[in-house]
Amino acid sequence: MRCKLFPTATLLWHIAVVGSLGASVSKAQGADLKFQVQLVWATDDSRPPTGKDYKPVEGGIKSQLRALKWKNYFEVKRIDFTLAAGSQKRVAISEKCELNVRDLSGSNVEVILFGRGKEVARVKQALPKGEILVPGGNAPNETAWLAIVKRVD
Amino acid sequence: MTEYQNQLKLQSHLDGELSEAEASEVVSLLARDPEAVALLAELRQTSEALVGFEDGIRLPESRDFFWSKIQREIEGQHSPAPERTSPVPWSARLRRLLMPATGFAVVALLALVVTRETGSGPAQSSVETSLADSGALVYHDFSARATFVWLAYPADDEFSEEDEGAGFE
Repeated sequence: MRCKLFPTATLLWHIAVVGSLGASVSKAQGADLKFQVQLVWATDDSRPPTGKDYKPVEGGIKSQLRALKWKNYFEVKRIDFTLAAGSQKRVAISEKCELNVRDLSGSNVEVILFGRGKEVARVKQALPKGEILVPGGNAPNETAWLAIVKRVD
Repeated sequence: MTEYQNQLKLQSHLDGELSEAEASEVVSLLARDPEAVALLAELRQTSEALVGFEDGIRLPESRDFFWSKIQREIEGQHSPAPERTSPVPWSARLRRLLMPATGFAVVALLALVVTRETGSGPAQSSVETSLADSGALVYHDFSARATFVWLAYPADDEFSEEDEGAGFE
C-alpha cells in the first residue's frame, strides 16, 4: 500500500542504493593504497647507537614483532607512500637496500627486496590493513635489521 | 379372487395391460358384479381426469439447447478471469526492475564493506616466496598478523666496517 501511495519515494530509495553501490565499487577499485615502510634496528641494548637519535618503535609494531628475540627496536627510517591500484613503487630504505611494492588484485601485494641493486627476495601474499611483512636479517653484534612493510589503509 | 385382486385386475383392464384370458375373466366379472362395474366406471373417470396432468412440462427451447446453456454457465464460473489489459505504469515497471537490483546491491555492498573492514582476501593463506638467498626462512606469526622473511642479506660483513646500525642509513 505504501508503495502505491509513495511510488516516487520508493524509486528514489532504490536508485540511491544502487547508486551508492556503484560509487562504492568505483571507489574500491580506484582507491589508493597507503603503505608505510620502517627500517628498524633490533637490539638488546636499551639505547640507540651513540650519536643516533633513533626512536623506539610504536607499541603496536613492537607487539607484532614478539616472535623475534630482541628486547628493543629502534626506528631508523620511516617512509610513507601511496600506491595507486594495480601500480608499483620502488622505495629506497637505505643506500644499499630498496623495496619494490606492487599492488596485486584484492589485498594482495608483491614485495621485492633489492640489495645492491640485485633481487634478494620476492614475496607475494595478502597484506590486509594492519598486517605487516617483515624482511629482515642479522646485523653485527647480535643485532638485526628489519624492513617493516605495513599497509596503513 | 380376493376383492383387492379384483380391483387391481380392473385397473389393469382399464390400462389395457391384461392378457386375453385375464381380460375375459374381468369381462365375466363385470357381467355378474355390479360393484365391479361401478368401480371400473369410477376408475375410468379418474383416469380421464388425470390425463391433463400427465402431459409433461414443455420447455420453451430444445433440450440440447437448455443443457448447453447450463454447461456454458458452469464453464464460465471455472474459467480464470481475463487479465487486465490496462497498461502498467512506468513507475511500476521500474520498481519491478529495481527490486532485485536493490537486493543485489545491498548484498554486494555488505560483502564489500565486510571484506574491506576485515581485510580478508582470497589469497590470505597463499604466500608465494621466491628467495635468491638459499639460507632464508619465512615465518608466519598469525596471532601477531606478521610475516617474517629472514635473510642472510645483508651479510654481517656488509656492516662489519661500520658502526652498529649505521649501516642502515
